[in-house]
Amino acid sequence: MEFKHKKLVNGLNVIGEVNKHALSAAIGFFVRTGSRDETDDISGVSHFLEHMLFKGTDNISAHEVNRIFDDLGAQYNAHTTEENTVYYAAVLPEQLQEVTKLWCQLMRPSLRDEDFDIEKNVILEEIAMYKDYPQFEVIEKCRNLHFGSHPCGRSVLGTVESITALTSGQMREYFESRYSPDNITAVIAGNFDFEKICQYIEAGCGNWQPKEAGRKIEYFAGTAKRNYERKHNLFCRHICLASPTVSYQDERSYVATLLAKIIGDSTDSRFFWQLVDTAIAETATMHCDAMDGVGAFFSYIRSSEENGPKVLQITEQIFESVRQEKISAQELQRAKNKVLSGMTIKNEIPMGRLIELGINWVYLNKYRPIEEEIQRIKDVTLDDLTALLADYPLVPFTEFSLGPEN
Amino acid sequence: MTEKIDTYKLSNGMTVLGIPMASVQSAAIGLLLPAGAATIPDGCCGAGTIIADWIFRGTKDKTNRELADALDGLGLLRNSNVESKHIALSAALDASNLLEAIELYAQMILNPALDSEQFEYSKQLALQGLLSLEDDPRHETMLLLKEHFYPDPLGRNTAGKKEDLQNLTAEKTKQIISENFDLSQTILAIAGKYDIQKLRPLTEKLFAGEKPKSKKEINTKEPLLDYHHHPHDGSQVHIGIMTQSATPQSGDYYNARVATAILSGGMSSRLFEEVREKRGLCYIVSAGYHCLKETAGIACYAGTTPDKAQETYDVIIKEFRRLAEDIDADELQRAKIGLKSGLVMQSESTMARAQAAATDHYILGKVRNLEEILQNIDKTSIKSIVDFLKNNPFENFCSVTTGPVKIKPV
Repeated sequence: MEFKHKKLVNGLNVIGEVNKHALSAAIGFFVRTGSRDETDDISGVSHFLEHMLFKGTDNISAHEVNRIFDDLGAQYNAHTTEENTVYYAAVLPEQLQEVTKLWCQLMRPSLRDEDFDIEKNVILEEIAMYKDYPQFEVIEKCRNLHFGSHPCGRSVLGTVESITALTSGQMREYFESRYSPDNITAVIAGNFDFEKICQYIEAGCGNWQPKEAGRKIEYFAGTAKRNYERKHNLFCRHICLASPTVSYQDERSYVATLLAKIIGDSTDSRFFWQLVDTAIAETATMHCDAMDGVGAFFSYIRSSEENGPKVLQITEQIFESVRQEKISAQELQRAKNKVLSGMTIKNEIPMGRLIELGINWVYLNKYRPIEEEIQRIKDVTLDDLTALLADYPLVPFTEFSLGPEN
Repeated sequence: MTEKIDTYKLSNGMTVLGIPMASVQSAAIGLLLPAGAATIPDGCCGAGTIIADWIFRGTKDKTNRELADALDGLGLLRNSNVESKHIALSAALDASNLLEAIELYAQMILNPALDSEQFEYSKQLALQGLLSLEDDPRHETMLLLKEHFYPDPLGRNTAGKKEDLQNLTAEKTKQIISENFDLSQTILAIAGKYDIQKLRPLTEKLFAGEKPKSKKEINTKEPLLDYHHHPHDGSQVHIGIMTQSATPQSGDYYNARVATAILSGGMSSRLFEEVREKRGLCYIVSAGYHCLKETAGIACYAGTTPDKAQETYDVIIKEFRRLAEDIDADELQRAKIGLKSGLVMQSESTMARAQAAATDHYILGKVRNLEEILQNIDKTSIKSIVDFLKNNPFENFCSVTTGPVKIKPV
């Protein structure tokens, strides 16, 4: 693997990791913007804008965009989170130049009113779809409750009201302020020639005007509030718990990742043995969401309504016990093995590597070879876990539950 | 790009496949055990789900916890899935631990503990899984669709039935395992980095001692392809539509695959363009090819709010019916490129390769290499696809909706 980096005059960073053995290549544009960068009156605009990027430019219609991607056999998509909007495509190596040229154009979209109006319906359908998906809904509501007035609690999709009221003018304004070259990183992974692809990016993006797109970073430990909402069409209890942890930039984020595995991996974890193996809950998982300057552990547990109180009681005991009774060396080793396997398998595919590379760059502004990431996981000790738990003790936590009426 | 695939049968008839992949450090295991939903006796619907959990709860010489520790000690990422004919077990891990992982899987299959107390936990989890399906209307719609589309019992609901699950006992389930875990009908596929000189004697040593069992016949009943509605007071109507297509054994298989890609391959394909891009009716609309050994279909899903449900359904049916019309050279080319590059990219994943090889071997009796598939896709033409669609018009549709309102089906 060979790492490459070039910063264009206007501030756009281009990074690449070349793997000559790969059968494909992947390119992505990582824009450092998401729902945390919005205000109430434009709630959901980052995600709506992500959809609108596929509607083309002054020279390419929406249908042509889809057609060109399909002509290239691209596997392409985009996603928006609280902090990032990521556009990507994986192609066979010989198509990378063309797909790169297309992305460079799409990153400066027309945002036509007629496309905006039709796509608004699609966004409203997406909001309706997630209302029928309680696992998503409970996590979003818990995040909102946990972060309170901190921007990381903002909904990515927005609401029916905010999307209905949003205008194309507001979207254009948001685009101008956030899609500045210094706020975007172009990332390439797999089998490709960096210099060649860089030339295309420079030709396509070199004339973008720089504009400082900042972000207010503030740490917040969470509200530790509790809420339970009943819905007439539900059959199970869906529980989401959140408590503070380190940010992505914190060196201890690897420790936090391993701690979440030890407690809440889907197999052979504390949640697994005490909740799932014993059939008290059907699913119980925990993950570390290390973000920009802030972080949270999220747990999602699904059980029968009847078992809900027992689930909460056991979960609290698990959170208490990891601090009081030490985590064993075997538990830590198992978690390391699982994380390392997942990392190896994901990174063998250019599309998987692309995301890892891009996110590392966006948050850390540096390249981390896979070997370094592996070493950082291997180096975590039991004392590191104890120290992390002393600073971030898992209790008290924020709880949001969704469950059936009676 | 021609690849060498290792294929051999053990002395008891079990099939072992090896797909070597250059430049990866991982290896994946794909195992098809002949204990899928359709092979389970009547009145035991859902036993496969219980079995897929129960066999992970210890072996004759390892407790539940010791087995889990051993698997996780190898850094093994694992999955299990109940299909129509098989329980599919899959795993991926660092290649240096592959042989130990195969030994553990052999113990789970040949010498599972099958402890009665553990059975109750597996059963409770299966019942909870069934309950949680009620909170996942999209998934439920597609399970119901396959149940109504495929000849019974081939499309049987893999999650099970509440009454059947409640009545199942450890003894009965043990009997099902004993009758169904027939190694002569089992396929083990390994993809990624492995040493055939070590793999072959190890699999022979571990599995060949188990004698073949008598093959089970499954009698099927042709379905009525009609409309079923499952009331659910949610935000959307979840629409599932399925219609007949060519099986992988058929000479028209590649015509069917390319035709499905024209209908719903990339975002420029007909369904996405007509339903989402032009009319904004849905966020998700897609159709995909789905097959069993005996029969195949195109399964379509769309989710939309109640006032748009009928229009969504009507537009989808119209697109199925006009699929043979106006296929142009560019459209065909896009469908082919999309299918081919998707297959090449999927082939970079060891887990996907192992699973695909095992399924191929079960359905076709051989593993198709990637080059052969790509060439066959290239051979399709507008004429071959239109001929196929005209000879096999989409006349009958099985439709399922889950949501607050019904639709008027065709």
